[in-house]
Amino acid sequence: MGKGQPSYTDEEFVAAIQGGDDRALAQLYRLHLPMISHLVLQNSGTEDEAKDVYQEGVMVFYEKVREGSLELSCQIKTYLYAVCRRLWLKRLAEKNRFNGRLEDHEPYLETGAEADVDQAEERDQRFATMAEALNHLGEPCRSLLEGFYLQEKSMQQLTAEFGYTNADNAKNQKYKCLVRLKKLFFTHYKEEESF
Amino acid sequence: MKTEADYYALFDAYQSGQLPPEEQDALERRLAAEPDLAQQLADFNELTDTLYGYGQRLTTRRKLRAMQAALDAEKAATEAIIETGHPTMPIMRISRTEQHLREFWSSHRATIAVAASVAILAVFATLLGLEMWRTAQQKPSLYGYTVLRREVERIKRNQRAMNKALTLMDEPRPNEEANPGKFSGTGFALTTDGYLVTSYHVIQGADSVLIESRDRQRFRAEPVFSDVAHDLAILRITDPKFNGFGRLPYSFKRGLAELGERVYTLGYPREDLVFNDGSLSARSGFEGDTGFYQISIPVNPGNSGGPLLDDRGNLIGIISGRQMDVQSAAFATKSSYLMRLVDSLATAKPAQPYNLPRFNQLTGNTRPQQLRKLQDFVFVVKVYE
Repeated sequence: MGKGQPSYTDEEFVAAIQGGDDRALAQLYRLHLPMISHLVLQNSGTEDEAKDVYQEGVMVFYEKVREGSLELSCQIKTYLYAVCRRLWLKRLAEKNRFNGRLEDHEPYLETGAEADVDQAEERDQRFATMAEALNHLGEPCRSLLEGFYLQEKSMQQLTAEFGYTNADNAKNQKYKCLVRLKKLFFTHYKEEESF
Repeated sequence: MKTEADYYALFDAYQSGQLPPEEQDALERRLAAEPDLAQQLADFNELTDTLYGYGQRLTTRRKLRAMQAALDAEKAATEAIIETGHPTMPIMRISRTEQHLREFWSSHRATIAVAASVAILAVFATLLGLEMWRTAQQKPSLYGYTVLRREVERIKRNQRAMNKALTLMDEPRPNEEANPGKFSGTGFALTTDGYLVTSYHVIQGADSVLIESRDRQRFRAEPVFSDVAHDLAILRITDPKFNGFGRLPYSFKRGLAELGERVYTLGYPREDLVFNDGSLSARSGFEGDTGFYQISIPVNPGNSGGPLLDDRGNLIGIISGRQMDVQSAAFATKSSYLMRLVDSLATAKPAQPYNLPRFNQLTGNTRPQQLRKLQDFVFVVKVYE
């Protein structure tokens, strides 16, 4: 990889991002922002909305790549365009401003991106429920679990932080918290699914 | 009996592969045998996976935000460089309101465009509709032929009359002094003792006719005879206070006037007496009607019924109408038809005989002298319907 602005091919991008290379991700991010920005601005959106949609779109792409489940049948550019287009359509529909036609300026292809977006949406739903459940959990369970799972601190660190006598105590506490979280999470999750 | 938390500790160890082999085997056997336990494990896995995924999602979001922030900062930096590079360049700053306006415009411009076109269409449709309605309202006349009686302040009066009809239904009609008349035309004296000539279409449909002289004297008159084909009407003043016109300065021509003769007319197209002249351009009228002359005098609504005289002061015709689609083509009834009409009326022994003037006092006079003598014999004919 060169210094400054290394250029990647699509395959290199996927490989690098899968490998956790943030510079590749930043490069990719910078590369396609103007395209999406143009799309959203052309279709009655603002600059900020464009950034939001683009970040969500890149998120879908990124998570698929990290999972290793991305089946790219086209260029990354086309894929991102399809994903963001879909996301923006949804936003417009929510805002009730969609008049049934979008001004496309890129070739729009069936890329399977639609399914990916739906999948991502389901995952969003789950994460939202999780955030909700964590909010309802109460202290110190919430901080403990967030520390362990979200911030990926070690058990030793948490033991010191929360003033447990030893790591086993902290672990037991963590499991109890998990049981409570499970109850909250699954009641919420099932409720919302039954909708 | 193990609590759920204990199981979670067990699952945690199992998933991370820290269980001793014999315990792992025991757990796997139990899992295969007890569906409840298997479900618990599945729930545990889903829970921890979601937690990890959620953590990753948060991290990624933070990363992307940072990237966007970096891009924004970079953009701001380049803009700043441009600004310092061109110190005199005015800095484009968009105020909050303008920002809002721009957003509004960019998101609603299609709607606005549609609304504007609808408005424009509506305006033109209304204008065209009104115009069509108005032409439909006008009395049908011959193609391109317009009679020249004047509708006095038509719209204003219509409105006023409507208001009056609504509010003063039972009250007596206002006196005639205040009433300017619905139509007006021009008329001129036929005899010294109260006969007048005007165009038939001026008095068409009249309830009452009022004659007004140049010095604002008003006399009531009544139609004696009218000739629709030649657009002629003869009126007689019935007012008791009327005592004759005095001696008429012009005489009536019984023959035909010559082509190219210089002719002129006096009339009341507005509140004052108006003179116009021109030439006799044809000895037939609209679409070859032999009862009329075509003359090149610019005439206007209100000129109808006015006298048409030649250079020597002979009355040769009565102004009747004009052709709209032809430049300055007016038409006047030939005086010979008027004479024939008067002769036939005279043989019927009317109450008041027709004493036509025999001598012409205008011959040899200059045009202004002629007009000065003439002006007292030309009247406004006001018509009330």
